[in-house]
Amino acid sequence: MYKTILKAAAGLIVLAVLLIIPRYVESPYALHMMILLFLSVSQGESWNILGGFAGQHSVGHAAYFGVGAYTTMMLMQAQQVPPWIGVWAGIALVVVVALVIGSICFRLRGPYFVLASIAVAEILRLSAINLTTLTNGAEGILVTEIPAFRLGGTVLTDFSTKVPFYYIGIFLALLTIGITYWVQHSKLGYFLQAIREDQDAAHSLGISISRYKNIALVISAVLTSLAGAFYGIYVGFVDPPTVLGLDVSVQIMLICIIGGMGTLWGPVLGALVLVPMSEALRSNMVTELLVKVGMVNAESKVGLFLKENLSHAHVLLYGILVVLVILFMPDGLMGFVKKLAQRRNREAT
Amino acid sequence: MAILEIKQVSKFFGGLAANSDVSFSVEESSIMGLIGPNGAGKTTLFNCITGYYPPSRGEIIFNGRRLNGLDPDKVCMLGMVRTWQKVRPLAKLSVVDNVMVGALARTSSLRTARDLAMEQLRVVRMEHRADFIAGGLPIGERKKLEVARALATQPKLLLLDEVMGGLNPAESEEIIQLILDIKRRGLTQMVIEHDMKAIMRISDRIVVLTSGEKLTEGTPEEVVSNQDVIDAYLGESHA
Repeated sequence: MYKTILKAAAGLIVLAVLLIIPRYVESPYALHMMILLFLSVSQGESWNILGGFAGQHSVGHAAYFGVGAYTTMMLMQAQQVPPWIGVWAGIALVVVVALVIGSICFRLRGPYFVLASIAVAEILRLSAINLTTLTNGAEGILVTEIPAFRLGGTVLTDFSTKVPFYYIGIFLALLTIGITYWVQHSKLGYFLQAIREDQDAAHSLGISISRYKNIALVISAVLTSLAGAFYGIYVGFVDPPTVLGLDVSVQIMLICIIGGMGTLWGPVLGALVLVPMSEALRSNMVTELLVKVGMVNAESKVGLFLKENLSHAHVLLYGILVVLVILFMPDGLMGFVKKLAQRRNREAT
Repeated sequence: MAILEIKQVSKFFGGLAANSDVSFSVEESSIMGLIGPNGAGKTTLFNCITGYYPPSRGEIIFNGRRLNGLDPDKVCMLGMVRTWQKVRPLAKLSVVDNVMVGALARTSSLRTARDLAMEQLRVVRMEHRADFIAGGLPIGERKKLEVARALATQPKLLLLDEVMGGLNPAESEEIIQLILDIKRRGLTQMVIEHDMKAIMRISDRIVVLTSGEKLTEGTPEEVVSNQDVIDAYLGESHA
């Protein structure tokens, strides 16, 4: 009881701090980092419902991310539909796409399901490249102006700063965490975990496998498409590789795998590790730091090499990180933390 | 009254007849034993009855309803549930959560499901293990967990596939008492078992399968004195 209150209080404090940050922090870069963090949390939590709880390791979530992003952007560019209306069209479309993909991929189990999920996402990516009249092909869709968001005549925001995106980001992250909490504490969550642990046993206990897999997929896909729509309007640009590419799928999955699959806070931990790491590498922060502390001379061969190459190395480091996690923390960071806590409890008693 | 009727059920895998023309019926609140040498088609028959395989020919009637082609989950909802010879615990979930998954077949409330699950754990005397992770249980308790989880779906007919396999005599005895206990509560059971002493004690009737066909059927006394059964088990030279 005491512990629950403590936890709730800590949660509220973190939330309050997050909510007032934009009042005191004006640096667009800092806000941008926070927005990326919220986006990653919502991506990871969305994937978690299908991959973590139901154990269906989709490597094709770019399909849902991309459909959400493209639908919202296309409607905004071609028909001037504001994104908060366009996103509903995106959701509707993604439900249809998810059910079609589900009806194909859920016939398969394990690695075969993984392969099929990749294939279907690739079909969508190639379609986006080639259906040029609809999607503008490889050039992508650029939207520079988002209509102002009005409520009863007063303009709430005109999206000229990063602040509205910051709050939408928080909302998305909280929404996905909330839905994951609900899944975890409902019949649905029990059934999904039963399917993950042993599909045949689950089937014999009265669980309709195809029904519950599809429910998990639709929830996961809709939430992923929301993240996609948000990404689209935030960046103002979508093209096939950035929202439909295989590395989008992999990134979404990694947040959850590194953080801990099938746990509520795993994807949050995963995002907290991955977002700063990839940003530090991409922006050459690591090289600059090495130069600053005097370990490397910026003009030397090593310094130039690092500056040239380290920013491209984030993919490599992702790979190394995944290998380390799989070898030493099969249950992700969350599982690792839990194990440490258990060990400490045992030593204390 | 017969709760389950198997009518001329055959199951072919390619040219191989795993079951051919098997017919018998199971009386309500009785225990039907199903025996036969390895490869006789006992588990295949269970799979046909519970919807894992559609039978190639014949009919399965449960409670007056034809089951052919129904999926396992529908069969379970109609009141027939099976356990697995090779146990299938939901390894990462706790013992009580495992049983709750079964209970949730009949309720959507987690609280009710938890109560039902604890009740079934008491039936198999595992309530002290409720919060233990199922993957870490020893084999004897895994077998009992299978039974508790199946019971939690509130079946009318329970199919037990070698629940005593791999157990020591004390554990087997516990399972025998459990099966008799379940019978006293009015549930019908069909039991596959290799332990002849055990099956003789618990069964009201026994069906003997060999090479996919029904060899004979009768009370335990009739079956043990049947020359065909002795031949099938010990080889004809024994006679």
